[in-house]
Amino acid sequence: MVELPTEEFVVNMGPQHPATHGVARLILTLDGEKIVKIEPVIGYLHRAIEKVCENRTYAQCIPIIDRFEYVTAMSCNYAFSLAAEKLAGIEVPERAEYLRVIMLELNRIASHLLFYGVTAMDIGAVTPFLYGLRERELIVDLFEMTCGQRLTYSYNRIGGVSRDIPKEFIPQTHEAIKIIGAKLSDYEGLLNENPIWLARTRGIGVLPKETAIAYGVSGPVLRASGVQYDIRRNDPYSIYDRFDFDIPVRYHGDCYDRYLLRLDEIRQSIRIITQALDGLPGGEIRAKVSPNFKPPPGEVYSRIENSRGEMGIYLVSDGTKKPLRVKARGSSYNHFEVLPQFGTNLLVADIVAIFATLDIIVPEIDR
Amino acid sequence: MTKDELKEYVSTHFDGKLTPLDTGRYDPMFQVKVEDLLEVARALKADKNLQFDFLCNLAGVDTKEHFEAVYSIASISKNLRLDFKLILPYDKAEVESVQEVWPGINWYEREMWELYGINVLNHDNLKRFLLPDDWDQGYPMRKDWDAPDFKRMPEF
Repeated sequence: MVELPTEEFVVNMGPQHPATHGVARLILTLDGEKIVKIEPVIGYLHRAIEKVCENRTYAQCIPIIDRFEYVTAMSCNYAFSLAAEKLAGIEVPERAEYLRVIMLELNRIASHLLFYGVTAMDIGAVTPFLYGLRERELIVDLFEMTCGQRLTYSYNRIGGVSRDIPKEFIPQTHEAIKIIGAKLSDYEGLLNENPIWLARTRGIGVLPKETAIAYGVSGPVLRASGVQYDIRRNDPYSIYDRFDFDIPVRYHGDCYDRYLLRLDEIRQSIRIITQALDGLPGGEIRAKVSPNFKPPPGEVYSRIENSRGEMGIYLVSDGTKKPLRVKARGSSYNHFEVLPQFGTNLLVADIVAIFATLDIIVPEIDR
Repeated sequence: MTKDELKEYVSTHFDGKLTPLDTGRYDPMFQVKVEDLLEVARALKADKNLQFDFLCNLAGVDTKEHFEAVYSIASISKNLRLDFKLILPYDKAEVESVQEVWPGINWYEREMWELYGINVLNHDNLKRFLLPDDWDQGYPMRKDWDAPDFKRMPEF
């Protein structure tokens, strides 16, 4: 038999591609259908959020930080408020801390439900998308009831939260998490043992533990690679040390484990919300903070665990009412950076599965 | 190891190359001399009691007097966190790349180079990625930079 000469060719994926969840671009070098080299390209959505924040007061930064990672906007508000509170040493009322935890965990569930739907749709199953969004709607309704917004909430403020929950909130939240908890088995029934799903995800895109740590990978992706590290437990903020919950961990580091891990996390979030609703104290929802609040000069890097991983805000104050520097660290940045390290030697279709299970949000990369 | 113990340990070990600062209100903050960077980074990762293997963040800062490069690192196995910073004068803004210690810093260094004009020596891929490829209007994150069509908000 004669060996036919083959040559590598380059395929451009994105920036306008349905599977890139925004406008990320990959330059793929292919040998046949095998990927030889991946070059991620970013910057199509660079809005200079950090520069804009430098020209606003601390309170005005909050709605801008919302747009940093809109799928879990609560956590962005929270990360910024937390950094400012640490700088100024503000004590947050107990009730506000509980409300924050409830909202953060609801937002984590909403984000994971969106992940469930979108990932399955990227891989070719349309039904899970409808299921995921149907249950996500229950949570979005709760947010709308509380702060009037469905996507960018600006609910966490420096010193507390913007408003108290309405009286229907608590029964409706109990109802929503009960429904979501029950529907999780439906979700698993649809995909967990589906042969097509297994063929597309199991053993695909294995991210080794050492690479994950070296490249700053965090959140569910890190935990799916066998590292039990969660900032809620390892570097507790807010009142997370009062709740009883587990940090799920899986060891294969492939697409399938990353998917399963997020479903595990929904269960843990439900546990936290139940405990927080039961323990919700009365009282103030916000410390007295002036709109022109001036933290003393100093700097802080504060980090929280959002649904994608480590969300950090590095905040520098020079004693004026505007921050000297706001640096937002998003986990998608590292997740996109590490992609060339483990995404090669696979088929083109697999890159879609990997991309989806890393749960990358492009505005978080570009800022 | 508590935060105070960590501060004590890091200031007394490493030949005094990390000087504690009191600007960090939450995690310990240190200052490192620019020429010691690579050595300190290697030592922090290799130290048996610290094992700083995880890079959280690298932020460039323009304080209107000089540049700063602030490295936020964490140790996953020992569960520690610290920050250290370099002070870079405007006329000699360059740092050594620490990719060999924390490979994930690649994009952070690239971003700092692109937006602040802080040169990174021995970096393997110093190309524009956030700004347009044909960008020629300077370094937008510097404090003396204003966009050509930018109108400053009135003070209130």
